[in-house]
Amino acid sequence: MYGWIWNHLPGPFAVRLTLALAMVAGVVALLMFVVFPWAEPLLPFNNVTTPQ
Amino acid sequence: MGTVEHIGRGAGRISGDLGDLIPSPRPRARAPGPPPKDPVRTAVRTFGEVLITLGLVVLLFVVYEVYWTDVISAGKQKDATTALDDRWNQEREEHFDGLGEGDGFAKMYIPAFGADYHFTIVEGTTGASLEIGPGHYTHTAYPGQTGNFSVAGHRVGKGAPFNDINLINSCDAVVVETADNWFVYRALPKGDEKAGWADGKGKEAQCKGVSVLGGPYENVVGQTIVPPTDGSVIAPVPGSDVVPSAGEQAALMTLTTCHPRFSDKERLIVHAVLVKQWQKDPGKPDWTPPELKETA
Repeated sequence: MYGWIWNHLPGPFAVRLTLALAMVAGVVALLMFVVFPWAEPLLPFNNVTTPQ
Repeated sequence: MGTVEHIGRGAGRISGDLGDLIPSPRPRARAPGPPPKDPVRTAVRTFGEVLITLGLVVLLFVVYEVYWTDVISAGKQKDATTALDDRWNQEREEHFDGLGEGDGFAKMYIPAFGADYHFTIVEGTTGASLEIGPGHYTHTAYPGQTGNFSVAGHRVGKGAPFNDINLINSCDAVVVETADNWFVYRALPKGDEKAGWADGKGKEAQCKGVSVLGGPYENVVGQTIVPPTDGSVIAPVPGSDVVPSAGEQAALMTLTTCHPRFSDKERLIVHAVLVKQWQKDPGKPDWTPPELKETA
């Protein structure tokens, strides 16, 4: 998977490395700002209240 | 591939023939280099890569939950505190009506947790409000009033204001600052301290005003662990349906959070009782009550 992506990135090594790091940063940002905030309420440790 | 290798090897020698005459001691089964495309190999490797990736995602989630939400909440808490300070500067009249969900209206200090432990309490206990800081159960009393001033707070991430409330000992102060007043609440005796309280710990100087409550409050102790469905802990008389008339109600404060940490199996509850009120002096804006210096 990662080998396939690497082989399909264009340009010399430096360009490939930059592109690869940018893709990693993009995935991390997507997880941190979209996926995790969505998934978090489904997990148990945020329930701190009792019924009113 | 193999042929190309062979030519390349021979070309590097002085006598190309010699290479063919002397047999190689270790016959090569297969030429080195990238292995031929094997679908099973590819599938297994991809599967492994996916597993490693999922592991990294889980690790990243831990970072998100334990550190990143703290950063986000710290910003929101700071904004709420600034907004509250602005409001206190504008109005001198203390009132709690008309508060919107997520509006800050008081500050809480637990000196036993250190001088830097302070949070702005916001109205409401929705997820969004609790991201800002400890949230007030909207139907419960407000600071200083009789009844049960109840506040929920996170224990993991989001600033985790109530991370350590299990460490609140009996008589530890929970100081609540409002526009005009400082209210000093102190944690009630724990269940195993009730017997012999008056002759034991109850004699300590900081336990002044803290006694084993009687009457309908008989079963209220400093710290309890209850099932998550037990809403009675924030009732005017915790753990009871009895609602005494306003004149007979004690002024309590209740903190709720999840228990055990990282789980929502139960709720950890801390009950405290109002022991003192200091009216703010407009002439001395920087004055703080002596209880704030009870840092352990």
